[in-house]
Amino acid sequence: MSTDPIVSTSGLAKHFGDVRAVDGIDLSVRRGEIYGFLGRNGAGKTTTIRMLLGLIRPTSGDVRIFGTRLKPGEQDVLRRVGCLVETATSYPNLTARENLDIHRRLTGAPPKAVGETIALMGLEQYSDRRAGHLSLGNKQRLALARALLNRPELLVLDEPANGLDPAGIVEVRGLLRQLARERGVAIFMSSHILAEVAHLADRIGIVHAGRLVEELSFDELRAKAHSYLEVAVSDPAKAASLLTAQLAISRIERAGEHELRVFVGPDRAAEIASVLVTAGLELTRLSSEEEDLEAYFMRMTGGTA
Amino acid sequence: MILWNVLVAEVVKLRRSKITWLSWLAFSIMPLAGGLFMWIVKEPERAAKLGLLGQKARFAGFAADWSGYFAFLLQAELAGLVLASVIAAFVFGREYSEGTAKNMLTLPVSRHWFTAAKLIVVLGWWGLLTAAIVAEGFVVGWALGLPGFSVSLAVGSLGHILLESLVIYLLVPIVAWVAVLGRGYLAPIGFAIFMLLLGNILGATGWGKWFPWSIVPLIAEISGPRMETVTAGSILVLAFTFVAGVAATALQMRHADNTQ
Repeated sequence: MSTDPIVSTSGLAKHFGDVRAVDGIDLSVRRGEIYGFLGRNGAGKTTTIRMLLGLIRPTSGDVRIFGTRLKPGEQDVLRRVGCLVETATSYPNLTARENLDIHRRLTGAPPKAVGETIALMGLEQYSDRRAGHLSLGNKQRLALARALLNRPELLVLDEPANGLDPAGIVEVRGLLRQLARERGVAIFMSSHILAEVAHLADRIGIVHAGRLVEELSFDELRAKAHSYLEVAVSDPAKAASLLTAQLAISRIERAGEHELRVFVGPDRAAEIASVLVTAGLELTRLSSEEEDLEAYFMRMTGGTA
Repeated sequence: MILWNVLVAEVVKLRRSKITWLSWLAFSIMPLAGGLFMWIVKEPERAAKLGLLGQKARFAGFAADWSGYFAFLLQAELAGLVLASVIAAFVFGREYSEGTAKNMLTLPVSRHWFTAAKLIVVLGWWGLLTAAIVAEGFVVGWALGLPGFSVSLAVGSLGHILLESLVIYLLVPIVAWVAVLGRGYLAPIGFAIFMLLLGNILGATGWGKWFPWSIVPLIAEISGPRMETVTAGSILVLAFTFVAGVAATALQMRHADNTQ
């Protein structure tokens, strides 16, 4: 994998009046890398993507694609880029094939690319149907087909799984992985759903309130998520008091009628069991759990799981 | 080559668009309405028996001959002040209304080519509509058996209609700019209607020769009593409106943020 970034930003910011939609983002994506750009609605994902594609002029900072500084309106560099921004839109009066053919004509892709991309995205039986009459999922497939038509070296995809059914999501995930691994395509994809990117992305950037609050690999993400012990006991209130008094455990949360979450590592399971059983409490379950990744994401972005 | 590809793409985008047929239907009513007027004036008794307003048609001042019919077509062409604007609103505004602007603006094509191609498409579309009503006008005129036809009258009237059509087109780019600025259909159509009303008001005040939307009706009557009001200054105003409209549209397309 080459270390030269295919796309990079430095101090990228966009302010709409007093609103700091994006506030100084530095990131880079390398060849063959899948970068998951994660954030809640309104976090600044789409504004960042629009700046990456020259649709929005940054207030400060810049975007470089293939080493060239991107300026809106001077976008020959976009010949090597495929994109899907926000909603999947096409000319509703034209068929799927005609929509792709317009795109082909303007990106300089060869005529055969239309049929190949239709087949790649499983749109053969819908290719002569007007885009306005396609289902939500097939509209998304058409938008993805348009992004892939010119065999891009960089794919910028905003919420690529929108509208796809579970089988479609798995299929697209496999396709993206294949493009990155086999063709070395750099993929920058945004999502507000952690699960969608967690198992696909090589690196995950978490954006919140316009700032990149965390950038880490999936393994690092897992390591950072809190672990805890789930305890099912006959008297949870008494158990919590005992654990606090005797083992000086500071974080204990009630998780059900008989369940407690004790935020300590699995290495302390034995002493917890000993304290509770010695006190005469009936211990029915004690298991080591990890904080849900979604919960971690919510914690990072200021919400509650 | 780039312009040709963009132009072909822009023409393909019109495929199966209802508005292409609707614009033709709306405009093609004009020569028929003119024909009906001519018939009422020509045969008032038969028209009265059918309950048609012969008096009103006579008051409109059209004679039932080719000269009167061409004068009517010149007035009918003025509907293009709205129709050409609707076409421009569609060609430019649809990219925003249908959410395809972001796809178009991320293509590796200079945005100026899109501005140019779209303006050419509007010109072609508007030109075809003008040609269609002229052709239809000849058919209706012949069918009615209107008297007073001469080649010189036909050539002169045709030239006048083409001039009027061209002048109407000069106002298109500014409407296109409003479509790009307002990101949709509504703003440019509202703008065109407002300008038409303002043009009527200013036309009545004597300032019409300085206001583009008042100058066009004056040019439609260039052989009539108001011809002396159209000056070289009026032509400059029209030329400036066109150039300013093209520049504003091109700059808006190239530099404005697309947050749609």
